[in-house]
Amino acid sequence: MIPQSHFLLLGAALFSIGIFGVLTRRNAIGILMSIELILNAANINLITFSKFSDNPDGLGQIFALFVIAIAAASTVVGLCLVISIYRNSKTILINKINLMKW
Amino acid sequence: MSGLIQLLNNHGISHEVIIKATFYFIAGVTLLFALFVVLARNIFHVAVYLAITILGIACVYLYLDAEFLAIVQVLIYVGAIVTLFIFTIMLTADIDTGSIRGIILRVLVSALVSLALFFILVRVIVMTNWKVALPGNLPIDLPQLGKSLMLDYALPFEVISLISLAAIIGAIVIGKAEKK
Repeated sequence: MIPQSHFLLLGAALFSIGIFGVLTRRNAIGILMSIELILNAANINLITFSKFSDNPDGLGQIFALFVIAIAAASTVVGLCLVISIYRNSKTILINKINLMKW
Repeated sequence: MSGLIQLLNNHGISHEVIIKATFYFIAGVTLLFALFVVLARNIFHVAVYLAITILGIACVYLYLDAEFLAIVQVLIYVGAIVTLFIFTIMLTADIDTGSIRGIILRVLVSALVSLALFFILVRVIVMTNWKVALPGNLPIDLPQLGKSLMLDYALPFEVISLISLAAIIGAIVIGKAEKK
């Protein structure tokens, strides 16, 4: 049997990689993809704790399901914003988008 | 596949060892492709690497007795979200330049921050005394999951559908072409 901590370590590694991606990417789509990595790491943790809890009632799995649904909704809106920004300023590099900066 | 397992069993490698080896292989591949997701230059390749990473995570869900979530993961992420990413990449011209090259200082600081975070998390996970899994723990079956989703968590379920509707309407409004 694979111990609980190894699943948690996998989740921690994925989370850190996602944080690194969010901080270094300049492309807005790349940032959204890194956020997907972070949400997946959170889901791995939720399902791990759901499996290894004292009385497993599946609450962690249901929570992970909601996380997936909200991630899908937020990604759709985010990508729509990216397309809208591209239409207005012809770039999606976040260091060149300075419409709301002084 | 079963023939291969039989062959390995004959050579003294038990079923348990095969399952463990497969898990660590899948976890390694997942982490490798997650690194590619944040390091690759071409943003189109990144979308493909993200799909592979998510498939690996779906396999990890299978190890956690969450078959339904594994299927949902493949359907929604690989089927819908990665496709959406690829469409957006095609609609916007900047296929390259998602690069991390050029701003060395920023990359160094980001690596430092994420590595520090990772080591704190690893330290907490290693130092905590986790329970060993109880052998009597039965996996959650699909009918039970569906019942609790429809009975106990009916209100969050409805709220989620409302959020989806709001996201659809918002996406249409924001993405609509402006009239000339």
